Amino acid sequence: MTEKPMTPNLPETDDGLLMRMRSGDEQAFAALYRRRQAAIYRFALHMSGSATVAEDVTQEVFLALIREECGFDPGRGTLSGYLFGIARKLVLRHVERGRSDVALETDVEGSAPLALMVHDDPLTDLIDREGIEVLRRSVLALPQRYREVVVLCDLEEVDYGEAALVLGCPIGTVRSRLHRARALLLEKLSQRWHRRPGVGALKPIGCLI
Amino acid sequence: MNCQEFWNTMPELAREAEDGHFEHVRECPACAALLNRQRTLASGLRMLAADWRPVEAAARVESRLTAAFLGQTGLAMRRPPARWWVPVATWAAAAAAVVALAMFLARDRPVVPAHRTTSSRVQLAAVEPPADLESPGDFSDADADFIPMPNAARIEPNEDLNLVRVEVPRSAMIALGYAVSEDRASEPVEAEVVLGADGLARAVRFFE
Repeated sequence: MTEKPMTPNLPETDDGLLMRMRSGDEQAFAALYRRRQAAIYRFALHMSGSATVAEDVTQEVFLALIREECGFDPGRGTLSGYLFGIARKLVLRHVERGRSDVALETDVEGSAPLALMVHDDPLTDLIDREGIEVLRRSVLALPQRYREVVVLCDLEEVDYGEAALVLGCPIGTVRSRLHRARALLLEKLSQRWHRRPGVGALKPIGCLI
Repeated sequence: MNCQEFWNTMPELAREAEDGHFEHVRECPACAALLNRQRTLASGLRMLAADWRPVEAAARVESRLTAAFLGQTGLAMRRPPARWWVPVATWAAAAAAVVALAMFLARDRPVVPAHRTTSSRVQLAAVEPPADLESPGDFSDADADFIPMPNAARIEPNEDLNLVRVEVPRSAMIALGYAVSEDRASEPVEAEVVLGADGLARAVRFFE
């Protein structure tokens, strides 16, 4: 018995779907949208902290694609990077207009219920759901230029080269911002841990040595 | 490798660095502790990413965008596309007009006495339409320079007329009473031909 060679059923590329979409193929548009919308929506949500803004941004990103307003050039990068680039500009515009539903810098200090368990290291909290929520809020509280690299590179797993294209900066800048962003996150998480009631109540009573 | 050099070459925590990189960590407890914290942070970020993986835009966004896409596509369909057949049809109509004009002139060509001239330039007489021709009578003053074609059908009121600009041999002017030198008879001259609804030439005017 001879086996037929398996021909992998590769998904159509973004560029292929885009070409079909531009010739009026609704199915191609739906496929492209479903493939890319979640990452764009999450990016906008992480960046703005607002579901309303994230929804608006996602809609505007794909409307721009439908209307061919921004002129995607496959020679200059991927469609995914191009969509992230539009989303980034739109998020910044929304935030500048003050349409974001949360105050980015203060919301992270909000009163999420805190566990009273005290760990030797605050980062051990990151392994539970509450810890992940704290981390999300800490990301949201980062200054915009650090927040966007963390969201792109650490959360959406965009490679550094593509992130550099999205952000319009050299790849070295992406690396250094990422490094700085992680240091800021550690700092914020440590500060948060030290403000916890369980920790704050432990006042030093004297030096033993 | 000192602490600064170590961190300068270790920005990508998710990646396993080469063995040589960790020699410094083995010797430096402070960097080892920080590296450990950074790795824990990276792990937390991966968990956050995984936790958010199912998050996506509401279904209504897709509905709105699909409507917008269909609207845009509909507009594009209604918008006059790059109609390749327009120039083809224009040239076909022009060619048909030339043929019609040529056939007409060939059929009704009056006997023109041989007119030799030493002048090489075209002698365009200020001709009047031949007196025996029936004037269509439907041309306005602005159309007064149109010469009705001999024996052409009368233009009916409200008849759909087409005006076609063509290039014909200068010799075609002879049939309408113009004097044309023989040596330039084959040169082209631009003309506008009024075509009736039946596609036949009704009147013509020439442009020098």
